[in-house]
Amino acid sequence: MKAQTRNAVAAAVVLLALCAVPFLSGKFAIYLTMRIMLLGIFAVGYNLLLGQTGLLSFGHGAFYAAGAYGLGLFGVHVSTHPLLGVAAGVAAAVLLALLVGTLCVRHTEIYFAMLTLACGMMAFSFFWNAREITGGDDGLIGIVRAPVSLFGGIRMPIGKDEQFYFFVLFFFALSVWVAHRIRHSPFGLALAGIRENARRSEFAGVPVRRYRLAVFVLSGAFAGLAGSLEALLESNARPFMAHWTHSAEPILVSLLGGLSSLAGPLVGSAIFVAMREIIQRFTENWMLGFGVVLLVIIMGFRGGVVGTLSALFRKATAPGEG
Amino acid sequence: MQSYVHVILAGLSSGMFIWLVASGLTLIFGVLGVLNFAHGSFYMLGAYCSFTVLKYLGAGYWAGLLLGPLAVCAAGFVVERFFLRHVYRIALPYQLLLTFAFVLIFDNLVKIVWGGGALSPPSLSFLGGSVPILGRNFPVYNLFIIAVGPAVALLLWALLEKTWYGRIIRAASSDREMAASLGVRVPALFTGVFVFGTWLGALGGGLSVPYVGLLTPGMGETIIIEAFIVAVIGGLGSLKGAFVGALVIGVLSAFGTRFFPAFDMALTFILMGGVLLWRPQGLFGATR
Amino acid sequence: MGKRGMNRRDFLKLTGAGSLVAAAGGLGGALASPRWVWGATPSVKGPVKIGYQAILSGTLAGYGEFHKMGAVMAIEEINAKGGIAGVKVEMEFRDSTTKPDEAIKNARYFVDSWGADFLAGIDSSGQALALAPVMPQLDRVLMVTHGATEKLTEEFVFKKGVRQIFRNCMPTYNDGHGAAFLAKDFPAVKWATVSPKYEYGFTCWKMFQDSLKGLKPSAEFVAESFAPFGTTDFRSHINTIMDAKPDGLYSTEWAGELITFVKQGKEAGLFDKVKYVMFPVGAAMDVLEGLGKDMPDNIWVSARYFFQYPNSKENNDWVARFRKRWNHYPAYVSETGYSAIYAFKAAVEKAGSKDTKDVIAALEGMEQNCPAGKRVFRKEDHQAMYDVPWGQTKSDPNYPFKVMKEMKVIPAKEYFNRPPFEGPGTTPPFK
Repeated sequence: MKAQTRNAVAAAVVLLALCAVPFLSGKFAIYLTMRIMLLGIFAVGYNLLLGQTGLLSFGHGAFYAAGAYGLGLFGVHVSTHPLLGVAAGVAAAVLLALLVGTLCVRHTEIYFAMLTLACGMMAFSFFWNAREITGGDDGLIGIVRAPVSLFGGIRMPIGKDEQFYFFVLFFFALSVWVAHRIRHSPFGLALAGIRENARRSEFAGVPVRRYRLAVFVLSGAFAGLAGSLEALLESNARPFMAHWTHSAEPILVSLLGGLSSLAGPLVGSAIFVAMREIIQRFTENWMLGFGVVLLVIIMGFRGGVVGTLSALFRKATAPGEG
Repeated sequence: MQSYVHVILAGLSSGMFIWLVASGLTLIFGVLGVLNFAHGSFYMLGAYCSFTVLKYLGAGYWAGLLLGPLAVCAAGFVVERFFLRHVYRIALPYQLLLTFAFVLIFDNLVKIVWGGGALSPPSLSFLGGSVPILGRNFPVYNLFIIAVGPAVALLLWALLEKTWYGRIIRAASSDREMAASLGVRVPALFTGVFVFGTWLGALGGGLSVPYVGLLTPGMGETIIIEAFIVAVIGGLGSLKGAFVGALVIGVLSAFGTRFFPAFDMALTFILMGGVLLWRPQGLFGATR
Repeated sequence: MGKRGMNRRDFLKLTGAGSLVAAAGGLGGALASPRWVWGATPSVKGPVKIGYQAILSGTLAGYGEFHKMGAVMAIEEINAKGGIAGVKVEMEFRDSTTKPDEAIKNARYFVDSWGADFLAGIDSSGQALALAPVMPQLDRVLMVTHGATEKLTEEFVFKKGVRQIFRNCMPTYNDGHGAAFLAKDFPAVKWATVSPKYEYGFTCWKMFQDSLKGLKPSAEFVAESFAPFGTTDFRSHINTIMDAKPDGLYSTEWAGELITFVKQGKEAGLFDKVKYVMFPVGAAMDVLEGLGKDMPDNIWVSARYFFQYPNSKENNDWVARFRKRWNHYPAYVSETGYSAIYAFKAAVEKAGSKDTKDVIAALEGMEQNCPAGKRVFRKEDHQAMYDVPWGQTKSDPNYPFKVMKEMKVIPAKEYFNRPPFEGPGTTPPFK
């Protein structure tokens, strides 16, 4: 079976399974799956920047927070319509990413990472200190999940978790599909070229800085989407969403699952959330358990879980294929 | 006047303290090219081990300062020899992830061994107490820190510039293959440097015992970010840069907290951003 | 799924073998005696499951351990005497960390996955506030044993009707208003503060200022310096305050940060220059023990529970049993954790059921005899009212830490905000 068809089938199976979750699982599993999807959206967009273009940013939490606060503040001042709220959140994230990106993409590698860290922490400080606007360290509390009303008078309630789940699933599927299209577009290939050798790409006529900025903003949009969805899920927006420790999560998760594939960050998200939960049921020392598992994965699975598994798979099927 | 002098003194002592912590981090990055996220954990372990010698073995603070960091070197050795060594060639994010895994492990281990509660050391006798400076008391120990900072800087400079060993380290860090082909046992050298950097970090932890006066399982986390910022501002890998960067950050932060409190949470980050925008490689970093 | 929770049960079994506790546990039963004996037919299906979360990692990791001591001791006693309404009590304890999303996830895990009947714990105000909107969905009683923000009870329970939330721990009222009631009698006029740079710090300082201005119009507020969470170097803040030359210092710094602040303040001579110092949570055991003789004398301290108050047989016996069990003086969260479990017991036995709405009805207005004294759960906002002491620090040869001399108690009803919490006559001082 060709790789493309295989991947399409796998994606369809996963989507089907995800649709089945609310009917087959308990409430907590539904909640966890939503959290995995949110982290997955954050990470798959982030990986466009890290895995595809080779840029390590420690400030993406700021865009996540912008999405959450954008939706929350929009809900308070304008309208509680969820779709408009999400759009407002994503717009806020995109604007912020444009600002930060313009400042930062002149630099590379570690200095880019530290600059984005600085910007992210400045955003964190703003969300924490601007108490009148953002609610300070308590954050915005009590964000409402109003029904989704569409043309033709359709009103879909999303108040209950089982209903909201499909709202999240819709955006999750959309995000993964968009990320997939970007990765395989000429733009995406150019990004990979920049990752491999920026100078050569520049000589070949690729506008490196502009492309870096573009993918930075795109990944910021994904972060904003995830943030606004979390604001709806947990009913709050918090300054800590912008903290660098939160920015580290998509990095962690992408490394876990594998940087070079689309599925890597998604698999990593699932492993991260599920593993944390499982470890906590056995011991309070979840940090120790988690650290050890990470160690094993890094030392053993150098390309992340997906990378290693697909290498194994390739080895297994190699003799049969030409 | 008294106010300004005390702000400067506070800035000098916090700056020199951060330099001491950042020195090990900078050395490790400069020679091995590794950003050791677990440096904060070695700092924490240094503090806890010193405290143990001080309190439970009843040997006094200075014995603790001597023995505690040495004990932590064992941990540094294990991390480098059995784990880090294998990931040198791999991309930066994986190194960070590896050292981050150790942060989780060490933080939790400390909690298991010493308990989660904050540990508070008894006050110091020798070098304890305060002296009046311009009418307000300033702790003697802080003056000690202000003196130790440049002393360590001098020591490191002498080690790297004036000794044969230092020359080999510098050679190996600028060109690994060349040094190896000239007979330098590079892996062993790297382990040695890593352990020395660990020792510096643990020493910082030991020094923190009277300086901060509190030990908690999370104490490595905040300090590591400050140390990173200082190292980056100075130019990653440059010890001179870290020293100057620490001074600058220490004094500016002290002024910032005192006169512009609205910004104090973001101040160090703003300063770092400012420096990087002006000089992307940091104050004394190497331009690529 | 049998493996899940095994660790918890084993742990409880092992510690339950502390039958030393069981013998004296008769007292525990007396402290929360049901109105009538539930007798022959227990109408409650066992076991009673309590999901408890508190901070077990990071700089505040000690607090989770303190919570656990209190809660575990209560459960051992209760189970040794037959449980709640004849059925056993089980508890699962989780690390809440300091993050609100972790707290929400743990609460959902407890209720949706583990099947908890009750929730308890929560150290951070931010976590409590974030959890509040989720409680109606989860529909279990949550007894907050630490997080002190008054917004939780005033806004979420009273105004928005989240009836599932109760709090048995003293909220910010004592830290802010209570301190002002004491301060009005001090000769100090110029007040300054070094407080935490988050809502708790801002709120308490504002409450203190508003109340003190009302009680003593000559009071001035000359300097304020707010220190972010995780500050280890308070020297700049101390400099700011000393520059303003106040005669009164107020600080709601707590736990490890208070220890560091006091040590560094001492070095700078702060406590020689400022005579009237108030630490509303300075009498917490971790602070008193951490500082030992380094805690200056004559500092006005209070806490959400202090082991020497009330000086009653019940409290003193409880403290003795606690020390025997854990070799520790009880932290205030140990007392609130202990009392929370007994509050559940009393409510379930009074209502004859574990159903949330029955338990809520039973808890509202309920009086409970606790080690901290008598608690009354106010019907309107579900906040427990009880008295706590203030006192000046002094040495005592019986203890390796400073204690309070001459404890002063201001009745809670004089300084608790009153419903409807908005408009005149709802904040102290009351006519």
